[in-house]
Amino acid sequence: MDTLLQALAAATQPAVLAATTVGAIVGLVVSAVPGLTFSMALILVMPFTFGMEPVPAIAMLFGVYSGGMTGGAVSAVLIGIPGTPSAAATVFDGYAMARKGEASVALGASVIASAFGGLFSLGVMVLLLEQVAAVAIRFGPAEIFALVLFGLSTICGLAERSLLRGLTAGVLGLMVMTIGLDELDGVGRLTFGTVELQQGVHMLVAMIGLFAIPNVIEAFANHGHVTREIVTEEVRGVLPWSRLRGYWGLMTRASIIGTIIGAVPGGGGPIASFLAYDHARRFSKRPEDYGRGEIGGVVAPEAANNAVMGGALIPLLSLGIPADAATAIILGGLLIHGLEPGPLLFQTSLDIIYALYVTVMLSWVVILLAQVVGIRLFVKVLKVPAYLLGVCILVLCGIGAFAARNSVFDVYTMALFGLGGYLLQRVRIPVAPVVLGLVLGPTLEQQYRTALILSEGSHRIFLESPFALAMFALTVLLAGWQIVSSFRARRGVPSSEVIS
Amino acid sequence: MTLGVVLTLLALIWLWLVNTQIPDVATDGEPGPRALPMLLGIILAILGVALALSRTAGPPAGEDGSSSAEPAPRTQADPPTARTALATFALLVAYAFLLGKIGFMSATAALMLAAMGGVLGMRRWVFMIVFAVAFAAGTWLVFSTLLGIPLPRDPWLASLQ
Repeated sequence: MDTLLQALAAATQPAVLAATTVGAIVGLVVSAVPGLTFSMALILVMPFTFGMEPVPAIAMLFGVYSGGMTGGAVSAVLIGIPGTPSAAATVFDGYAMARKGEASVALGASVIASAFGGLFSLGVMVLLLEQVAAVAIRFGPAEIFALVLFGLSTICGLAERSLLRGLTAGVLGLMVMTIGLDELDGVGRLTFGTVELQQGVHMLVAMIGLFAIPNVIEAFANHGHVTREIVTEEVRGVLPWSRLRGYWGLMTRASIIGTIIGAVPGGGGPIASFLAYDHARRFSKRPEDYGRGEIGGVVAPEAANNAVMGGALIPLLSLGIPADAATAIILGGLLIHGLEPGPLLFQTSLDIIYALYVTVMLSWVVILLAQVVGIRLFVKVLKVPAYLLGVCILVLCGIGAFAARNSVFDVYTMALFGLGGYLLQRVRIPVAPVVLGLVLGPTLEQQYRTALILSEGSHRIFLESPFALAMFALTVLLAGWQIVSSFRARRGVPSSEVIS
Repeated sequence: MTLGVVLTLLALIWLWLVNTQIPDVATDGEPGPRALPMLLGIILAILGVALALSRTAGPPAGEDGSSSAEPAPRTQADPPTARTALATFALLVAYAFLLGKIGFMSATAALMLAAMGGVLGMRRWVFMIVFAVAFAAGTWLVFSTLLGIPLPRDPWLASLQ
């Protein structure tokens, strides 16, 4: 109790409050810019935290983390481009809502869902830290592989009308990610002897090209004849509590998904939000509304990707294992301040852990306020006509692609992916499964091969783990269900001339 | 039909590249760096053949084709879009090239002017120049000065100091 009071006192010092506020706002704004993720925001604020005391430094990093997870939804809703990979699933219905004139509702719902998911997972983390960690630490490559494979099976769900096109998209995404240096054997794959391709294709660079550039092309092409308003509505900072009636159960389930996925190393926001989106649509009474501006398609991924945070902190704090890129950066930040995460931290620095709980809670207050009060500032960007905004987005895409690795080569790559994204759109191959392949590909392959190295080539390693078996069963079940229902749906559709 | 054939060809090229470019080495027990790219190429080839043969592979052509899994609304497939797409691609390639040569601010202003004057056919030159220069300077201020991203410096900046 004394420790808790001390923590409360520590977390409410002016310096700590200021650090939390600045961190949360930086996270919100930076991740709202397409192509700039909160991982990058974390790296950018890192130098500022060097000179700080541990508690404000941690407060700032976690402020950026929570703010960043939330900010990605702003551009997902308003311009149909995920500000951060974790918001990719929010685009489908958030952008559709904005086009229906419900941008304010979508944004308000997303920030409430974000806060709900964040606080939910924080609660779970505080309650179950040790127990969940005891489960997660036993996950070997076989279990992670099974989990990632299960994540990939949602491709079928995202493919919508044509399973063949959806699968093609997923395979294309996986193919792209095999380019570059193979980490296990140190062999260059399809690098053609160039240094630039050794690093592989940066996931973010590919995503900027695939998501943003086709949008710009469309805005350019529509200039002159159809003026397509991106957001027609005066966006207000509202918290649409009444619209969320009936969705709290979904948000809770999405938060559980997010927390669990977050706690699994190699999980992370993109997987959690896609899984939650898929879950929301699958269990909806009106799944056909998803993709056309269903509020459940906004709150589910937003609750899930913010819940990832609490989940990801469980292995980070209890075992020192970073579950994704963002927690890896945070781990670096903690180490700089002499805080080595792991079971020992709970004995030596319990006050700092408690202060961390309090600052994360406070950061949600800041984010809610910033979103409600500051939303008009975000929207100012969108008052510009679509084609002029397109010109600005081109520049931001360039900056985002460059900043991913400080490489001009990545700007070329982004341009190529932009053209690719446009071509995919023309031949009606959905882009979402490509992204899923991009995100999951590297983990899938590495864990599979690591598992086989451990087992000296025997595939029995995958069958010996009950968790992996359960995941495989779920994967088969999900894929089978998709194939059956896609055939059933096709029979209902009168066959017509198809351009393929 | 065409899509299926193109994808199959793409898969065959990919498989040929994988076969000739990636050495077949492997740590004990694991399938090695070549296995996954190979597998993916084969799957893509199969999918391509299936798409070429399938008569009902796509959504009904009568619909507008706006799939809900798509973040961007689909426009009608008209020639101007294709031209715009190529023009935008060319702009971005030129931008990447110029970034390394004349620095961020000059390249950005040039990109914006080319996009507005060339692709969009705008003729309000005063507005366009002010907008391009202001936006280029503004983004430089925020991303380079404030956020510390090492964007390529314009050579003329050095002469100011």
